[in-house]
Amino acid sequence: MTEMLKKLVVLITLAFSLIVPVFANGTQDTGKGKKLDPNAPVTIELWYGAAATEAGPPPADWGALKIIKDKFNINLKLTALPSAENDQDVKINAAGAGNALPDLFMVRRPVWQKLVQQGLIANVDDMYPQMPNRCKTHYTEDSITFTTINGKSYGLASPGAIAKNEGVLIRKDWLDKLGLKEPVTTEDYMNVMKAFTEKDPDGDGKADTYGYGAFIETNNYEEGLGRRMDPFFGAYGVAGTWNMTKANAGLNVLNPAYFDALSYVKQMVDNNVIDPNWLSYKKDDFRAAWKQGKFGIMREQNAAYAAAANYKPFDENFPNGSWIIANPPKGPDGKSAVGAFTTGYRIYAVSAKAAQAGKKAKIAQLLEWMSSDEGYYLLGWGVKDVNYKLDAKGVPTTKGLADPSKAFTAPEMIPLTQLKNMVYYNGAVEIAARYPAYTTAKSGKIMDPGDVLLMMQTKPWTNVIGSDTLPNPNADLKRFYEQGVLEFLTGKRQLTKDNWNAWIAEFKKVGGEQWNADGIKYAKDNNLLK
Amino acid sequence: MMPASDKFFHHCLDVFLVVTLIVVVIPLWSTITQSFRPNTFIGSNLEGMFLPPWKWSTAAYHALLGNNGFLLAFTNSLKILIFGVATSLLLTIPMAYCLSIKTLPGRKLLTIFVLLPYLFNVGLIPSYLVISGIGLTNHLAAIFLPSAISTYNCLIMRGFFEGIPEELKESARIDGAPEWYVLVRIILPLSKPIILTIGLYYGVSFWNDFLHAMLYLNENSLQPLPILLRNILIASGMNEFVEVNAFGDAPISAIKAASVFMSAIPMIIAYPFIQKYFTKGTLLGSVKG
Repeated sequence: MTEMLKKLVVLITLAFSLIVPVFANGTQDTGKGKKLDPNAPVTIELWYGAAATEAGPPPADWGALKIIKDKFNINLKLTALPSAENDQDVKINAAGAGNALPDLFMVRRPVWQKLVQQGLIANVDDMYPQMPNRCKTHYTEDSITFTTINGKSYGLASPGAIAKNEGVLIRKDWLDKLGLKEPVTTEDYMNVMKAFTEKDPDGDGKADTYGYGAFIETNNYEEGLGRRMDPFFGAYGVAGTWNMTKANAGLNVLNPAYFDALSYVKQMVDNNVIDPNWLSYKKDDFRAAWKQGKFGIMREQNAAYAAAANYKPFDENFPNGSWIIANPPKGPDGKSAVGAFTTGYRIYAVSAKAAQAGKKAKIAQLLEWMSSDEGYYLLGWGVKDVNYKLDAKGVPTTKGLADPSKAFTAPEMIPLTQLKNMVYYNGAVEIAARYPAYTTAKSGKIMDPGDVLLMMQTKPWTNVIGSDTLPNPNADLKRFYEQGVLEFLTGKRQLTKDNWNAWIAEFKKVGGEQWNADGIKYAKDNNLLK
Repeated sequence: MMPASDKFFHHCLDVFLVVTLIVVVIPLWSTITQSFRPNTFIGSNLEGMFLPPWKWSTAAYHALLGNNGFLLAFTNSLKILIFGVATSLLLTIPMAYCLSIKTLPGRKLLTIFVLLPYLFNVGLIPSYLVISGIGLTNHLAAIFLPSAISTYNCLIMRGFFEGIPEELKESARIDGAPEWYVLVRIILPLSKPIILTIGLYYGVSFWNDFLHAMLYLNENSLQPLPILLRNILIASGMNEFVEVNAFGDAPISAIKAASVFMSAIPMIIAYPFIQKYFTKGTLLGSVKG
């Protein structure tokens, strides 16, 4: 009897613990129709993409917070999103699932699209008329189209990174030492790379230099070997993942010219003219390598090359060294391109919760203030006459500051400009301020990263605007693509026409054909083809 | 005289251990030397590993220790470590002890309830809903409170407690000692190996926890070391404003190596003190399952 009673108690407990959750009724945050008390301070929670996450957030006594509180009665709570895009997505997805999205937050397009579908993001069409100044600089017709779904705008898309800000750079002092001219064709480039590898251009008596340096840096519109090798793919008209022309829309890897481009890169590998560490380098390894004189030709970003802090180590190691911004190699058909370019946007979304709480007007006020002169300069450079001065042309500069340690370029002052991504729009003032000319410490050269940028933008590029919004391959297909290309280069697979065609057939079978079709359809439906 | 076969076996074991040592030491040495590498160094990573110490540069360490963000993150991680280990042990020890009492009514049922979450993980979203629902967002406790009792650690500890002779407990009970007295005055003094071992397990887990910190700590002033390390480690990859280096002139690769090394220091310091208890604690805990 006692045994039976024990079993009964156990059964009832188990049944209870299984049934009760079915009737559990969570609380619902209606938040509907709340009207803000016009006199009470409004708290706005902002998750922003920091300019330099590792430098830390703005201090608690940051002047901008006080101004925003005094002028608009807004308590601004700031949270820097993680640096890595995957981490950003996890954080935002988790918050979305818990209906705990902040009022205003930066979000990547794939995640943004899902949140819109789930009804967690507010329509912002009514906010644009409240931000006339900001619309002039930030919210162009293109950017509004970028965040429009079914005729309604669900995000505030600000201009992203500066486009066409990379170039092919060649060691001028090496060319001069070896009596070589600036290369023009792919054949010229190969000869120069061989000379840089075999003829001791740095004169140290060691065979420690290479023609070309790179590392694998891919993204959704620069797949395969990535952007660092794109000048060579551009020579064959296949730079970037997608061809965005009406005539030849589709994946570049399916273009027969891709085999030719890959064969050229294979020649570079076989001739040993490329730094052998390129497959294992990360970005900072690559950057350390060119500053250490490892190779003589590379594709690099203007500021990573020419900005004072970045050029300094090269200047100290090689005071007589110099680089020229070269034209990218011309292929057999006369084509050339530094690479593929697109215009990225940073999407800031307003959560549906914030809209229901009546915060959209306050958010619009905040963003409009950010685009005012006061907000633009404060968030972009700091306090006038403390962190920057305005030169004769009205460009922020660090010259003439009473305390140079408080210059906006000083590492300790970076936290003050962590929100500059929200105010910059790649205007002339920013370019001039971000990239001022300076004299190098060791060699006394005048370096002008702004001029470098302008020069890089004049070189030929392949326009693939919109290709970063095309469907992405699934993980298996992406791995097949990237691994396959590398296997041909490393010799694991022999790069012959037959082998390549067999690999392409396999690529199509594992989803490449569908990916291609989906991409072309998306591009056509969204008028992205040129 | 050792038989030839035993000698051979020992030689093979020696070779295996030396190879293992090399495999472990090389990456560690590479990280240490990279953290001291000067900006002017020209050479491969392998050559850098043999750079004489008088050519080393401490610029990366100066940059990190002079960075308020790094010190704040280190402090936050220390707080999480200390409070987390203390809370976990305070909760795990009584639970393990209760489960070790053979005469506890409903012991089997309780063990099943303890095992179920270990077997079936609810996933990220329900955890997020519970933790944010009870208001732990933006509290350091969000890192250690939800995972304060690890089923695995609890069962190991239970096994250890079961291995303590029953006669010791019985003699105390016969003298009228309540269970808490038996636990505190008899069981715990004999359980130093397991407590230190499980404490180390919890400590390593809390020290390295990145995901919970990223999800629940929105205040930048609360963020612990793993978050900062992650931001530093991908700094040059994500920062488009590459014209400024948040750590001054120190090479970014040295900064990364130095931050990785400094974040491992507490564990490196603690481990030798706990090592002698480590094997004993885990072994005894696992034998009586």
